[in-house]
Amino acid sequence: MYASQLSNRYLTSRIIPFIAVAAVGLCVALVIIVVSVMSGFLEMVKVSGKSLTGDVVVSRPITGIPAYAELIREIEALPEAEAASPVVETFGLLRMPYGSGDGGKQVEMVEVWGIEPESLDRVLGYRSKLYWKKPAESELAGIAETDPRRDPFFDREAEGMALRAKDGTDGVVLGIEISPFNRRQRDGSYRTTDPRTGGQSAAYFMANTEDVLLTLVPVSDSGSLSGEKKRRFSIVNEVQSGLYAVDESRVFMPLAAAQEMLLLDPRPVMSRTEFDENGRPKELGTGPARATTIAVRAKPGVDPDTLRDAVERAYVRFYQRVTADPGQLVDPPFPDSVDISTWEQRLANFIGPVEKERELMRTLFSIVYVVCAGLVLAIFWSIVQEKTRDIGILRAVGASRSGVLWIFLRYGLLIGIVGSIVGALLAWAVVDNINAIHDLLGTPAPAWLQVLAWIGVAASLALAVMGMVRASALQAVVWVFITLGLAAVALVLLQHRGFLVWDPSVYYFSRIPSSLDMNTVVTTMIGGVVFSVIGASIPAARAADTDPVKSLRYE
Amino acid sequence: MPMLLEAEHVRKTYRLGRHDVPVLKGASMAVAEGEWVSIVGSSGSGKSTLLHLLGGLDRPDADSGPITFAGEDLRRFGAARQNRYRNHDIGFVFQFYHLLPELTVLENAMLPALVGVWLPQWLRRKHELRARATELLEVCGLGHRLGHRPSELSGGERQRVAIARALINRPRVLLADEPTGNLDIHTGGGILDLLAERHAAGLTMVMVTHDAAVAARAQRQVRIVDGCVA
Ligand SMILES: Nc1ncnc2c1ncn2[C@@H]1O[C@H](COP(=O)(O)OP(=O)(O)OP(=O)(O)O)[C@@H](O)[C@H]1O
Ligand SMILES: [Mg+2]
Repeated sequence: MYASQLSNRYLTSRIIPFIAVAAVGLCVALVIIVVSVMSGFLEMVKVSGKSLTGDVVVSRPITGIPAYAELIREIEALPEAEAASPVVETFGLLRMPYGSGDGGKQVEMVEVWGIEPESLDRVLGYRSKLYWKKPAESELAGIAETDPRRDPFFDREAEGMALRAKDGTDGVVLGIEISPFNRRQRDGSYRTTDPRTGGQSAAYFMANTEDVLLTLVPVSDSGSLSGEKKRRFSIVNEVQSGLYAVDESRVFMPLAAAQEMLLLDPRPVMSRTEFDENGRPKELGTGPARATTIAVRAKPGVDPDTLRDAVERAYVRFYQRVTADPGQLVDPPFPDSVDISTWEQRLANFIGPVEKERELMRTLFSIVYVVCAGLVLAIFWSIVQEKTRDIGILRAVGASRSGVLWIFLRYGLLIGIVGSIVGALLAWAVVDNINAIHDLLGTPAPAWLQVLAWIGVAASLALAVMGMVRASALQAVVWVFITLGLAAVALVLLQHRGFLVWDPSVYYFSRIPSSLDMNTVVTTMIGGVVFSVIGASIPAARAADTDPVKSLRYE
Repeated sequence: MPMLLEAEHVRKTYRLGRHDVPVLKGASMAVAEGEWVSIVGSSGSGKSTLLHLLGGLDRPDADSGPITFAGEDLRRFGAARQNRYRNHDIGFVFQFYHLLPELTVLENAMLPALVGVWLPQWLRRKHELRARATELLEVCGLGHRLGHRPSELSGGERQRVAIARALINRPRVLLADEPTGNLDIHTGGGILDLLAERHAAGLTMVMVTHDAAVAARAQRQVRIVDGCVA
């Protein structure tokens, strides 16, 4: 009875509980922010790694897999697989429609994917990565007058999905960082800028321009390079995967065109044993088209390794069926010579360092956790220690140990709960706005803020001097410290020219991950409460166990 | 006459680092039901120590004789019985008041009553307990300061709050350590009159004092010399 009354009184009649709430809150917020951003980063690596290749990839580079449609049917019949899509992967040279100012036109070495947009969308979410879309009514306000997206007939999304321009020519979709005229803005969006004025310009909008020239080098049946193939394509859209390395080098083109240019399209198959009257090998018929890669997406909840094993078995079935079928003129490659791997295996070079980083992060998280837990423990320890005499009094008038303990348990519990909630809200506010905060750091401080800071310095200095004149030590000391603090802030503002902490060309991602990790939020909040309760109840229990006279002598 | 509170060859040694400081070396005293006994002795002779032992607030040495309350050995008390003893059977007035700084005067005076009851009981008896505490504080001359914090009171006023607190649960024995030590003769006399009234109503009292005049108001005086009752 008295316990709840007394702990309420302890909570409300002093400033210490507020300090404790602030401390618990800051600790909880610190842990949540650090862990959320870091695990968000790792999660982004995973998600974008997956969305680069699909969960499982079947690949046979250069010569490709014939009758891949058959294989895709086999794979899509698997209960573990959601969808599969054929891809022709190669490298090529891309000549851009504009020069870089030095006379010639810009030429880039690019990674080319011949794709079937519809099925690739099912596997990798291709549509969602197309950058230029018809803006929604609400977005129009934030778009400049000169932005090509204001055109009422703007429909690049459909063209990107069809990989075909309005005039019927084949189209390509370029990674958004390939064009030097696409400038990433602080908010992460892209703008087409005129290199001479730096302003937004529809003239350099890639998807509005004519053609690019794409050069691919096919490999002949005999395994040597045959003459390069050149073709013009319209740029129909640009694509943002979120991974800088991809955005600066990936080009999507129609699968059929890629097969044609790389000699992977249906072509005549010659007999090795039968010859015609001229002594030439007899033509047996037309062989199937080939794809170098099959990207497979797992059903939700299916782990990539499970899917890979299933796909391996599917490939063997596919192989046996095709080789046994006399109607099929070309045998697929042996199961052993086809690489079937999960995205993690395929991106091992890319993921390896990240995994190491994750281990490092785990260690750092634990340190942050332990430090915060220690801090919370110490705070409560000293608060309760200070109450030792009160505990002695309570025990002397007959309060039970459990009653005394309950006072401080409640105390720790309430502060822990309130502090955790405050901390979680604070963390949410920070994490939710982390990109805005980052951008703010990236801009030089406005002049008015600097002036304000110096005015603050002058004012607090005056107050400090006044304190000295009035012989008030507290006033003098407090204002001297405030003056020093404000001066430091003002100096930092003066020095601050803005810096970009998160450079998209250094990091793989164009945005700082900004989602709260719910597991972390929950565990950290529970941790905050638990450590508050432990910190409050251990010294309380110790004091409750001592004879009252001893506690009462505690000064 | 039946003895209510009895100490027999009580020993108490304080351990200070490696040194033992024997304070009580076999002190014996007995208080009969309804009696008023003063404990006198020079400063540091162990008066407070003895009173704490009688009140069950501290434990005597292992080789000490027993302290009994109405025939019960305090050393045999379980936790619950001990709490009840401190809460109900005795009322204790400390030399240094020992009030809870966060509670008001009224709440401090009611504290033992609050400790002893559960919520439903409290809800039922709230008004009665509040009225009793108010009345006690009024008798002690603090009727106008019920809502104040102990830090806003003088030493004498705090002492009177402590006395009210000791009496709130109507204990059988009042153990008071220098209850008038910080009061002027007039107020001190008032407090003594109040205590005398309670004594007349049947309260057994053990009072530590070094004021001879105060000690003289008791029926009997006990002197501690060299760790023993002389
Ligand atoms: N917790 C303790 N630890 C060590 N020594 C103690 C402790 N409590 C009391 N003492 C010592 O025991 C002796 C008796 O103390 P006590 O408080 O009983 O004296 P007192 O007779 O009440 O004196 P006063 O009249 O000054 O109040 C003193 O010498 C004191 O230093
Ligand atoms: Mg004393």
